[in-house]
Amino acid sequence: MSRLPVLKGTLDLLVLRALSWAPMHGFEIVSWLERAADGSLDLEDSALYQAVYRLEEKGLLEADWGVTENNRRARYYKLTVSGRAHLRAETKNWVQYADTVTTILTTAKDAKPSTAGS
Amino acid sequence: MIRANIRRLFHLALRRRDRWEREVEDEIKLHLTLRAEQLMAAGASPTEAYDEAVRRFGPLTESRARMFDAARHREQRMQRTEYFADLRQDLAFALRTLRRQKAWTAVTLITLALGVGATTAVFSVVSSLLLHAVPYPGANRIVQVFQQPSEGNQTGVSVTITPAAPVLRAWKSSRSFEALEGLGFAEMEMRTTGEPASLNVTMMEPTFPTFAGERTILGRVFTASEVASSVHVAVLGEGVWRTRFGGDSGVVGRTIVLNDSAYSIVGVLPERLQVPPGIAPPTDVWLPIDLRNDKLGTRVVGRLKRGVSFEHVAAELDSLYARSAGFSGGRIPFTAVLRTPAQHVQFHDSLIMLTYAVALVLLIACANVAHLLMARAASRHRELAIRTALGAGRGRVMRQLLTESLLLAISGTALGVIVGWLGLKALVALRPSSLATLERAHLDGTTLGIAVVVALVTGTIFGLLGMLQSRRQSTNESLKSGTTSAAGRRARARMLLVVSEMALSATLVVGASMLVRSVSKLQRADLGFQPKGLYALTLPDVKKKRGATARAELLRAVASRLVSLPEFRSVALASTPPGWMSFSVGRLEIDGKTSPTAGTTFTGVNEIGTGYFEAMGIRLVQGTTFTDTTPGANQVIINARFARKTWGTTSPVGHRIRVAQKAESPWLTIVGVADDAATSGPASGPMGESSAPMLYTPATDASAVALVIRTTG
Repeated sequence: MSRLPVLKGTLDLLVLRALSWAPMHGFEIVSWLERAADGSLDLEDSALYQAVYRLEEKGLLEADWGVTENNRRARYYKLTVSGRAHLRAETKNWVQYADTVTTILTTAKDAKPSTAGS
Repeated sequence: MIRANIRRLFHLALRRRDRWEREVEDEIKLHLTLRAEQLMAAGASPTEAYDEAVRRFGPLTESRARMFDAARHREQRMQRTEYFADLRQDLAFALRTLRRQKAWTAVTLITLALGVGATTAVFSVVSSLLLHAVPYPGANRIVQVFQQPSEGNQTGVSVTITPAAPVLRAWKSSRSFEALEGLGFAEMEMRTTGEPASLNVTMMEPTFPTFAGERTILGRVFTASEVASSVHVAVLGEGVWRTRFGGDSGVVGRTIVLNDSAYSIVGVLPERLQVPPGIAPPTDVWLPIDLRNDKLGTRVVGRLKRGVSFEHVAAELDSLYARSAGFSGGRIPFTAVLRTPAQHVQFHDSLIMLTYAVALVLLIACANVAHLLMARAASRHRELAIRTALGAGRGRVMRQLLTESLLLAISGTALGVIVGWLGLKALVALRPSSLATLERAHLDGTTLGIAVVVALVTGTIFGLLGMLQSRRQSTNESLKSGTTSAAGRRARARMLLVVSEMALSATLVVGASMLVRSVSKLQRADLGFQPKGLYALTLPDVKKKRGATARAELLRAVASRLVSLPEFRSVALASTPPGWMSFSVGRLEIDGKTSPTAGTTFTGVNEIGTGYFEAMGIRLVQGTTFTDTTPGANQVIINARFARKTWGTTSPVGHRIRVAQKAESPWLTIVGVADDAATSGPASGPMGESSAPMLYTPATDASAVALVIRTTG
């Protein structure tokens, strides 16, 4: 199965989505993404951390130290209020955009001859 | 103890940096561990699992660096936010606390305000009078250069003479000065426009305005070639230009007549351009100085190069003078003296003393505030303990108290600035007329800065100190409101404060009372004459316009009119009125005895009219007053100390003395001995250092410039 590179800007959105369920630490986010994408995303783990840190700096995430099930100290991230709003708005944008692009790519077969003919 | 605390403070800062770096490391490590575990669960060997985990993570070093960066930013932002939130909280709390203790707050604020205010006002005055005595560029390197007799001055006062033009010409090759200017002063009568007026004229070199950092507001300064060719040119002062020439912008090219000579006006100089203080009254007209005139006495002002010492400069000037005048072996009659303009400011010594006194007042104010702060720290002990018990960190409590101290100190100093500003206004308004330059006094920035820093530092240090002491006492003990060892330590620190405060206050009180005692002692001092009800009237300038005889006649006429009035008991002519000093410099010779001093001597002289001793209230201890006042009679009255020193218990009456100067002086016959009188002030008299002999001779028309007047009151 071929692996898709993550489009620029979409990683942030994916991370926000991951965290919309519950606070997670870094590896949990990675695992969630891998599971959710069924291994079809090509992503270095470090890129995810950078995305997380970036989002934290923007105030879309906040972090706190917590303990994992196996009693390990880990940094847990959760959405802030503005993070949640951002996720909602960006998801809508993304879906609209993707719909539009998909529509153009898949249904506008007749467009070319008709415009060329006129 | 403080050192340990400071170290801890820095430690904290270091650990913070470590912390966020370690957090990033921990996060990466945890990730790699979890990933490896995941891979091992899928059947990989530990080594393979770890390698794969690292591979999947991506470029480790680069990522780590980026994460560090982000973490650092995050940390800084957090600290900032936290800091401002805390500050807001601290300020609000401090305001509440201070408002609750109104009396305490008021006392502290007033103490600070008065301390800072008084210091600032007085220092501003001193700074404008002494530190900025001249408004010239490089003011702290401006000096006036005089000469003083190298020997024979036993008068107890410093005697300086103005260097003659040849001396200045020799000095001009000195390498210690950036510039050296010669000035001359005269009073001249102007008859150009309006009423004839007496103008203060300053003779200057063409370079002086530049030296003083000023430029003409109209026209130009005379040129060196004009000075060399002795053309009659003048530069008007702004005042004369405005009052006498109506501020006419076409004044250049017009003529001004001074003492019957016409000068063509080439420019106008601003009012700001002034000669150094104490030299001459404000200048009305500027004329060129002719330094080729050997007989001209000059006032010398110079700007020293950086870093040269007065001693070095004086030595250089002396050697230049010796070489030019042909003195060999380094023995010269006059040596150079350098003085700062500040030394010529009136009340110089009093101002310095005042400065010290006010500095002490500031110290006492600070000690008082420290005391108040510590007393309060003690009384808030329980409050702090409760807050600590409720979980407030020590650093947090410390910051809270520091905020309070600083808030107090800042408000206090702000009030102090207002008090200082008002005080300065009052001082300027109450200034004596002789300190006219005080008018331009303004709040001195440096002074203000120092006062504010001192107050802030006091507030901070003692705010902290009071607290450090309460910290040492355990929370538990405080809650039980016990007084334990910490209380003892605090008591000791407060004792120390009280003691130093008392010492400072005592110094001030002792100083002040000694000053008062000195003044009252001076007032009761036996000056050898009766200063009460004694007045002097001088007419020194009449001579130039109408001749000495006219002046003497005028003085005699005034005298006879005054005596006819019941209010005046006696009036007499004198060449040296009280408060002045005149000396004859030469070798004092006594007929029939070898001279008591080999070299030159300063001999006090006063030419007096009939009734002088009566008017002054000076007793004649031996002999009589003058029996013959004609010039040929050559009679003299000497002072008692000189008589005792020279003739012991035998009477000097009938002996002859003279002051041998360049021209042969006539012998004077002693007819009487007058009591020692400190006519120029207490320092010069019987208890002063002066051992100069005093000679009284009959007044002549040429010498009589003053009247001494004894009232009946």
